[in-house]
Amino acid sequence: MKQRITIDPITRLEGHGKIEIFLDEEGEVENAYLQIPELRGFEQFTVGRPAEEMPRITNRICGVCPEAHHMAATKALDALFDVEPPSVVKKIRELFYASFYCTDHTVHFYALGGPDFVLGPESDPAERNILGVIHKVGVDIGMEVINCRKRNHDIIKMLGGRGIHPVSGLPGGWSVAITEEMRKEIEDAAHKNIAFAEFSLKLFDDVVLANKDYVDLIVSDAFTHKTYYMGTVDENNHVNFYDGMIRVVDPEGKEFLKYHSKDYAEHIAERVEPWTYLKFPYLKAVGWKGFEDGMDSGVYCATPLSRLNAADGMATPKAQEHFDRFYETLGSKKVDGRYQPVHHRLATHWARLIELLYAAERMLELATDPEITDPNVRMPITTTPREGVGSVEAPRGTLTHHYKTDENGILTDVNLIVGTTNNYAPIAMSVKKAAQSLITKGTVITEGLLNTIEMAFRNYDPCMSCATHSLPGQMPLEVNIINADGEVIETVSQYID
Amino acid sequence: MKTLVVGLGNPILTDDGVGVKVAYAVEEELGPNIPENITVTEASVGGLRLMELMIGYDRVILIDAIMTSNGHDYGHIHELSLEDLRQITPTEHSASAHDTSLITALDAGVHLGLHMPKEFEIIAVEVENVMDFSEDPTPAVAAAIPKVTEMVLDSLRKEIIVH
Repeated sequence: MKQRITIDPITRLEGHGKIEIFLDEEGEVENAYLQIPELRGFEQFTVGRPAEEMPRITNRICGVCPEAHHMAATKALDALFDVEPPSVVKKIRELFYASFYCTDHTVHFYALGGPDFVLGPESDPAERNILGVIHKVGVDIGMEVINCRKRNHDIIKMLGGRGIHPVSGLPGGWSVAITEEMRKEIEDAAHKNIAFAEFSLKLFDDVVLANKDYVDLIVSDAFTHKTYYMGTVDENNHVNFYDGMIRVVDPEGKEFLKYHSKDYAEHIAERVEPWTYLKFPYLKAVGWKGFEDGMDSGVYCATPLSRLNAADGMATPKAQEHFDRFYETLGSKKVDGRYQPVHHRLATHWARLIELLYAAERMLELATDPEITDPNVRMPITTTPREGVGSVEAPRGTLTHHYKTDENGILTDVNLIVGTTNNYAPIAMSVKKAAQSLITKGTVITEGLLNTIEMAFRNYDPCMSCATHSLPGQMPLEVNIINADGEVIETVSQYID
Repeated sequence: MKTLVVGLGNPILTDDGVGVKVAYAVEEELGPNIPENITVTEASVGGLRLMELMIGYDRVILIDAIMTSNGHDYGHIHELSLEDLRQITPTEHSASAHDTSLITALDAGVHLGLHMPKEFEIIAVEVENVMDFSEDPTPAVAAAIPKVTEMVLDSLRKEIIVH
């Protein structure tokens, strides 16, 4: 009997993210994917508008990472107008961006990914959230989380011009210069961020690494995929969020590609499948071999784990120490001077915290850079625009904006590859593997099915919130098991009465 | 008493921006002399970030888009309490994107001893289209905007004399 299982969140926003699991004739999992709603008509919305509006328009695409869209758009404008930003502008942008990373990675660990570990994957879903974490680790730590977010939101507002949707990015420039007074505040925040990141890594040590069950879970086959990895690196092949070259390493850790983001279309193609409107990006040079891992499959991954795997190290000292420890602890060997990739998807949570520490250290470096208070933050534009590509590392993966305009700078063509898109295929593979562990020969072990599947995709921090906000908020999951005749034969849901 | 009026949503996603558009209209009606104890803002965030915006306020009026499956006409105006919101947030753990629910976040705020609002008014407009990029809401939702704006102003008038 051919079955199709749907895990469908009931929400005010239909299709806000649902999971579909297809079973074959033998009742084994054939395919699975996370349906992410596709907002329509963004290109038509933007075509005909002046390109310089894009940093303000694109940061409306998503309520989660407007800063990332703002930055990718601003860099695309640099390229479009062929204007090289002054050194101080690059530094202010990177500083702003590092502060954003501090808020974003913090919320993921404490509100989303962390609860699975701090409270345990088997704990009551009603408790497995930030409130549960606070109960477990204490109010003081809860306040540290809130304070970390507040001080960084203050900096984002100060440098970005607005609290939620930044407006400071200009082609070749940034509309806010940093005064000495502002600089001191940022420096102070950076010190606190470093302490907070180190604390968070210690918490990860105490709660996760000290628990053999969790370590076993992290390294278990159910959460392991050997794919290619993508990330942006600086001139020393160290992780960089703001700028650099896109580097891709193969599943054994050898550099496979290194390119400027303007050449992305030469290296990345998109696979279309008949059963979903999602497009699955893959490496052109390897080719599409289906939802498979391994050297011969063009599937790649772009996440915090991927960025660490794609880099030779971190650009800041404390983060580098944790980088080494990460690979040593997870059994990676050095080959030709660099660690072999870690393929355990749940290790992404650890990698995210190492990135948090790097972001905090980088903030301090930039806040204490003598040039950071240089007031010359604008550049004249003298060229006729035509085409430009800009990219950054969004927390959820490499984010690329590509614009074409007429000679007046009016947009004629817009293409975006957003962070989560890169990971569609790996997410589908992870959901499939998680489902396989609980579904065999048509028998569904419903206990823990939702949790296991959630854990499988949550480490990617998939962004489905392009529809921005949330009333009622989070969505319950419901699994419908549907037979070939379209009848629901079983329903599993995660409700609290 | 400090009051926060927050319009939620994405103003370039057809009906999703209904809350934001109401917030703009309320701001305009209040004019330049908004009383000091009233803040009108827009936000495109949920959960934790939304809770953080509310710290220090006594009262919140939240305007948002909603899609129910109860056969309400587009443009229908729902008035909800925080308790209602709690009822329709049956789980705290799900496929959601990147955050926790507002209810959980508010509970966390209270638990942390933060000054959280005691009074909540939630006005939600039944929407038709939240998947297409457009600055213009659908007609039924557009028609609800002045009504909701008036409801918000009425609610504010209960406490202060609006200029």
